[in-house]
Amino acid sequence: MKLFTRYNRINVAATIAIFLLGSCLFYFLVHYILLHQLDEALETERTEILAFSQKHGKLPEVLNTPDQYTFYQQASTPVREHFYNGYVRYVKGREWSRQIDFPAEVNGIAYRVTVSKPLEETEGLLSVIIVVTILLIALVLISSQLINRAVLNKLWHPFYEAIDFLKRFKVDQKGDFALKPSGIDEFDQLNKGISDVLRRVQADFESLNEFTSYAAHEMQTPLAVIRAKLELIQQDESVFRQYAGHMVAIEQAVRKLSKLYQSLLLLTKIENGQFTFTEQVRMDEVLQNKLGELDDLINTKGISIDTNIAPASLTFHAYLADILAGNILNNAVRYNFDGGMISVRLTGNELVISNTSYLPAMEQERVFQRFFRSAEAKEEGNGLGLAIVKRICEAAGYSITYSYAGGRHSFCIVF
Amino acid sequence: MKVLIIEDEEALNSSIVEYLRSLDYTCESVTNYRDALQKIDLYDYDCVILDIMLPDGNGLKLLQEIRAQNKADGVIIVSARNQLDDKLKGLSLGADDYLTKPFHLAELSLRIAAIVRRKNHLLTDKLEFEEISIDLVEKKVTVNEIALQLTKTEYKFLVYFIVNKNRLLSKNLIAEHLWGDDMEAVQSFDFMYAHIKNLRKKLINAGSGDYIHSVYGMGYKFGIS
Repeated sequence: MKLFTRYNRINVAATIAIFLLGSCLFYFLVHYILLHQLDEALETERTEILAFSQKHGKLPEVLNTPDQYTFYQQASTPVREHFYNGYVRYVKGREWSRQIDFPAEVNGIAYRVTVSKPLEETEGLLSVIIVVTILLIALVLISSQLINRAVLNKLWHPFYEAIDFLKRFKVDQKGDFALKPSGIDEFDQLNKGISDVLRRVQADFESLNEFTSYAAHEMQTPLAVIRAKLELIQQDESVFRQYAGHMVAIEQAVRKLSKLYQSLLLLTKIENGQFTFTEQVRMDEVLQNKLGELDDLINTKGISIDTNIAPASLTFHAYLADILAGNILNNAVRYNFDGGMISVRLTGNELVISNTSYLPAMEQERVFQRFFRSAEAKEEGNGLGLAIVKRICEAAGYSITYSYAGGRHSFCIVF
Repeated sequence: MKVLIIEDEEALNSSIVEYLRSLDYTCESVTNYRDALQKIDLYDYDCVILDIMLPDGNGLKLLQEIRAQNKADGVIIVSARNQLDDKLKGLSLGADDYLTKPFHLAELSLRIAAIVRRKNHLLTDKLEFEEISIDLVEKKVTVNEIALQLTKTEYKFLVYFIVNKNRLLSKNLIAEHLWGDDMEAVQSFDFMYAHIKNLRKKLINAGSGDYIHSVYGMGYKFGIS
């Protein structure tokens, strides 16, 4: 829910509640004042009647008007002076009225005098108050809505700008950045907070990157030394003959280590989003090239290739496209049996590579995990190939699925 | 052929020197930026092998210096960083080639040979050994001036052998050169024999000497025995 909507709901509810409460209080107040005035008028009437009866020894003649009704009655019981409400029939008709009863004694006879005045005015007032209240609520709501819409959007603009900036921010982007000052303290504080955090993140990222790259350097150089020395030793034929097995083992270990480190570096780089996918890559050509490179090995294993590769141009990254195709095809050859088969199918929106293998079906969830290797796998491998493929697909926004059917392992990538 | 090796790791530096000397290159070596700058200022080299991470400076600056002085030295960057950006940056600054550590000395010598040839024969790029001649631009092989048809793999074998002539090349080394990371896809390199056997037969049939020697089943050596 948008903050504006949320705020609006609260605002509308609160405005209505306040107005309702306010108009109730207003009504009661006005009602009270009017009643009080009526009561005063009735009191005056009483005083006048009593004064008249004392002066003249008789009750004044009743002269009923449309908004006053006076009535005398001989009282058999003592009369208590009090105000009350009730229906009274006037000249023009029955109406809800304010009345006063009071005793009056004329020539020794006790009378109950009742004077009534209609409450019509207060009722009219009530309806006026209700109408005015509703109109006021509507007016306030509409105007606040309009003002909020116009003002809030403008006021929150820096906020949306900051969010937009965060969305576009890439941790590896070089150079400084600046968020536009908004002139509003809260947003400037937010922007400052964001900038500080991002600068720290950038600095951390850079030092981490520097560290990995430095670690790579530190590790690859000794490996290069081992490899070079080994190659030199191998030139001594008698030594080579004697230690050939050991040397091959050392050489393989060096290659494994170097490959492992490079794979991990690549994974980290992809995960950090350090590749941008803007190049147009001819996936069909990438696949054909890779198959060409693997030709010798495919022939050696007597693997038959079934290709159905249509020209396809993708917005991708050339280097990563190469690795993607290489890793899958390499596995397809590596874990295949002699005389097996590989099928490669490429259309404009998907790539399916399937192959026979001596390996049984692999678990869906584990197949793309780092360092996952099928227990039966005989060939060398560091278990990072498919993890890299998966990360490349994720980074490029492609989906990759693994399936196994009829003795064939299939990888399907939807672009 | 004069080669300058700029590499801060002494052990690697001396290995490169030893290997290249055995291939009859004249080598000079330095282990830091300052000495390298001095050498570059004073002399001309056919090829400079440049480590871009030096303790007292960035190798890419040396490369810029070489190019700024309009020297024709071929430059091969050797770096522990297999980072694409570095590679592209190096090549855009005028490096001729880029090798990632750990590299094989045989691979390095192949790259040096390519650069030296390019530098010395600007029009044709030829590799020669006795009666065998390889046109590296056209990818054509001739024996005694007669064209010889080779498969892609046989061609790669031959170039690799001639550049690293008289060196013992292990099967691992050859496999890695020819198939790179894909070599892991097979468990044994026995299939190499077939390619080499064919190459050897084709060369002998074309009238060349028998230069490919199998060494105890460990590897191969190319040369006049």
